[in-house]
Amino acid sequence: MAGPRIPALGARLRSWRGSLNGGVILMAVLIGVMGFYVIYPLVLILINSFNTATIAEPPVYGLQAWRDAFSEPGIWRSLWNSVRVGVTLQIVALPLGIFISWLLARTNIFGARVFELFFWISFIMPTIATTFGWMLLLDPNTGLVNTSIRGLPLIGGLTFDIYSFWGIIWAHAVSNGISTKVMLMTPAFRRMDSSLEEASRMSGASTWTTMWRITVPMMTPVIIVTLLLSVIRIFSSFETELLLGVPWGFYVYSTKIVDLARQEPPLVNQAAALGSIILVFLAAVIPLQRRLITRRQFTTVTGHFKPRIVDLGAWRYPATLFVALVVFILDFVPILSVLGGSFMTRFGFFHLPKTWTIEYWKMALGDPRLTNALENTIIVAVSAALIGAVLFSLIGYVIVRTKLPGRSILDSICWLPSAIPGVLSGLGLLWLFLGTPIFRPFYGTIFLIIVAYILGGITLSTQIFKANFIQLGNELEEASRMSGAGFWRTYWTVVLPLMAQTMVMVGVIKFMFAAQHASSIILLATSETRTLILLALDQVFSGHREVASITVVFIMTLTLGVALIARSFGLKVGIRAE
Amino acid sequence: MSMGFLRIQNLTKRFGEVTAVDRVDLEIRAGEFFTLLGPSGCGKTTTLRMVGGLEKPDDGEIHMAERCLVSPAKGVFVKPERRDMGMVFQSYALWPHMTVFENVAYPLKLRRVRRAEMRERTRAALELVGLGGFEERPATALSGGQQQRVALARALVFSPGVLLLDEPLSNLDARLREEMRRELKALQRRVKVTVLFVTHDQMEALSMSDRVGIMNRGRLEQVGAPEDVYYQPATAFARDFLGKVFALAGKIVETNGEECRVELKDLAAPPMCVRAHRIGESPWATGKEVMVAIRPEQISLAKSAGDCKGNVLPVTLQASQFLGDRYEYTVAVGAESRVLTAPASQPLKPGQQIYLELDPAAITLWPTAQ
Repeated sequence: MAGPRIPALGARLRSWRGSLNGGVILMAVLIGVMGFYVIYPLVLILINSFNTATIAEPPVYGLQAWRDAFSEPGIWRSLWNSVRVGVTLQIVALPLGIFISWLLARTNIFGARVFELFFWISFIMPTIATTFGWMLLLDPNTGLVNTSIRGLPLIGGLTFDIYSFWGIIWAHAVSNGISTKVMLMTPAFRRMDSSLEEASRMSGASTWTTMWRITVPMMTPVIIVTLLLSVIRIFSSFETELLLGVPWGFYVYSTKIVDLARQEPPLVNQAAALGSIILVFLAAVIPLQRRLITRRQFTTVTGHFKPRIVDLGAWRYPATLFVALVVFILDFVPILSVLGGSFMTRFGFFHLPKTWTIEYWKMALGDPRLTNALENTIIVAVSAALIGAVLFSLIGYVIVRTKLPGRSILDSICWLPSAIPGVLSGLGLLWLFLGTPIFRPFYGTIFLIIVAYILGGITLSTQIFKANFIQLGNELEEASRMSGAGFWRTYWTVVLPLMAQTMVMVGVIKFMFAAQHASSIILLATSETRTLILLALDQVFSGHREVASITVVFIMTLTLGVALIARSFGLKVGIRAE
Repeated sequence: MSMGFLRIQNLTKRFGEVTAVDRVDLEIRAGEFFTLLGPSGCGKTTTLRMVGGLEKPDDGEIHMAERCLVSPAKGVFVKPERRDMGMVFQSYALWPHMTVFENVAYPLKLRRVRRAEMRERTRAALELVGLGGFEERPATALSGGQQQRVALARALVFSPGVLLLDEPLSNLDARLREEMRRELKALQRRVKVTVLFVTHDQMEALSMSDRVGIMNRGRLEQVGAPEDVYYQPATAFARDFLGKVFALAGKIVETNGEECRVELKDLAAPPMCVRAHRIGESPWATGKEVMVAIRPEQISLAKSAGDCKGNVLPVTLQASQFLGDRYEYTVAVGAESRVLTAPASQPLKPGQQIYLELDPAAITLWPTAQ
């Protein structure tokens, strides 16, 4: 019947296999796996917001969850709070970030390079360290700053309460709000052709006029990118609000979801409904983010680089002092406060007969919960680093270097995770693992945590790999192909060794991410698979601050330590706006 | 016009160990087109930037008219925005976030010129550089040559006392550069602005300037009209940097007040005659080893010695190449090969004996060490 067509079909199949060497299969596998991994959990959230049965029960569809969720004013308030925190933070942090970047990159303040290193350290420093460090200082009753003020005349009545809206803003600003902006904008400011400013001076403008009318407007594209990258993550922030908002009933989007999912009985379907709202926001935001990052900027760089800077004259001293103060607040205060907290009998109580103690350290080091959490953290972070580096180098390579169909689909999938709040992806994975029978045995294992952390870093990792493959140039691989090596052989013997440095860098970033972020795993971990960050949160909530300090010291050491080691080997761990 | 509208005295700038500008003295007249010429790193741009106030000198003084602009010794430093100088940068430095009009009007806006007048003067400046009607374009949407003109209009719009030009033509392609060279010169004649121009291109320097200052390693080596520095270089550097040199080693065999004779080393030729005003100031004694030098385009080629006046040098023609407007000849001078060019009118055959004619008035004399 179909006799005559068979040879033709066979030839077509052969030609497919011949010309695409299994590339199509590889692409299909990658899209399938990544799609399942990234998109399916989100789909599950959407579906289950219309499900009234709880996880792992037979589904009963209905609108009850949506109705329940939105009859409760707390849901709307939490969304509004997220927006409020995010917007206020940007209003405070953006002008400061612009000003500091300008000082660091374009003026002759003292020690600009050293200060830049400290902003980098602040960027690397885990949010929990800064937040917790400042909690020890600004607790309304026991905070060191507040108890010190109480003894002073005139301002003795003042209390800086960190458990407040402005306390949350402050904690955000000092943890990542300012340092991220400085990190993103300083290199861009530095690359600006200084003759653009000099032309303004020659036209009759002073240093300040030049800054306002030339430098800052010239930097507008970078400033907008920096701002929007922060705005996109407005619903992602978690740890700070958990520590500083929940105790007084202030919920934002992510803490509300966790609260709903953790209630007894769990209101996971309401959490899913709340999660679904943000999927709409994400659908708008992800293409925007992608455009921002891939778009070309003003070309402000000229052929010959002139690192000429503005002479501030007498302003040089106050300007240096100002940046030094900011660095002190961002880096030294939290580190000293956390260290102090771990070695003091009671933090801030200097008049106790025995002010300093190593009792808590003895206790902590002998506590199986800490050693268990440390072990978990290292297993999780190392696995995420290794698997992430290998998997994403392959994806980056396929997107940049091959002509396979479906590359743009794969690329789009890889853009999704960065905009998804960690809590949401955690919720999705929770459904995936509990609701899919073959995956159910994995629930409660550390594997689940690893999967969640790898997911969180997809966008950044693939972007780094893509950028490096583009830089690498084609010839090296083509030479290998011409020498007779196939795709995989070239990948293993030429591409991977050349990308070793990038792989290490991506590994380091994933390691740091896994060691400090709680939001994506908080719904997935059990007491056996608890990592350091979750342990620290639990300890803070149960009021064991001195012990929590020690856990935070461990987290800080892991992240900052790894980042500093990587930096000493010349790896540029960080983010860039271009 | 008074002498020394812009006076530079003992100007010195050090960057760490390196002395970028080394005790430079210079007087530029009002309305003059003055060029600092030298290779990259010779200190010419640093000098220009110190005049503009973008760099602070370590020593020396700069005066414009009778006003002291900078003097570290007296603690005087006038900021660039108070110097009333226009400047065109090598990269043009047009602000990409402004239109052509906004770029050019910026200096007037800072001077609080009234709106109507600002509009009028900006338009006039753009007309002057041939860009009338381009006001609303974004500055970076123009071609290189047009951007150059906008930068020029911006530097001239407020009628500055001095116009500083930092290699403004170096980013243009060859043909456009030639065109802009002519236009820039014509513009300067019309506006009568004092120009301090910096370039590494001797062609630009020679063709546009009223006077040229040749800089090398931070020192100003020679100042003079283009013809003077070209034909009468004061230093070996000026001689080699300004153009090609045809040089031969020899020994002085006779000297008197008006001329001296140099016997060429290893060459069967009559001694070269050199006119006194080409001899320079070194004490030339009989028996001294010297070098005679001449610009190759001042050498004429002849088929027979009888056609030559002045000094004659017999050479063998090794090869010839047709370059369109001229021929390029490779000749054997003793054991060495030299390259000369000559007009396309006289085809000569390789292998043939020809004669080089060297005008005694065009030859310069140099110590052998150089």
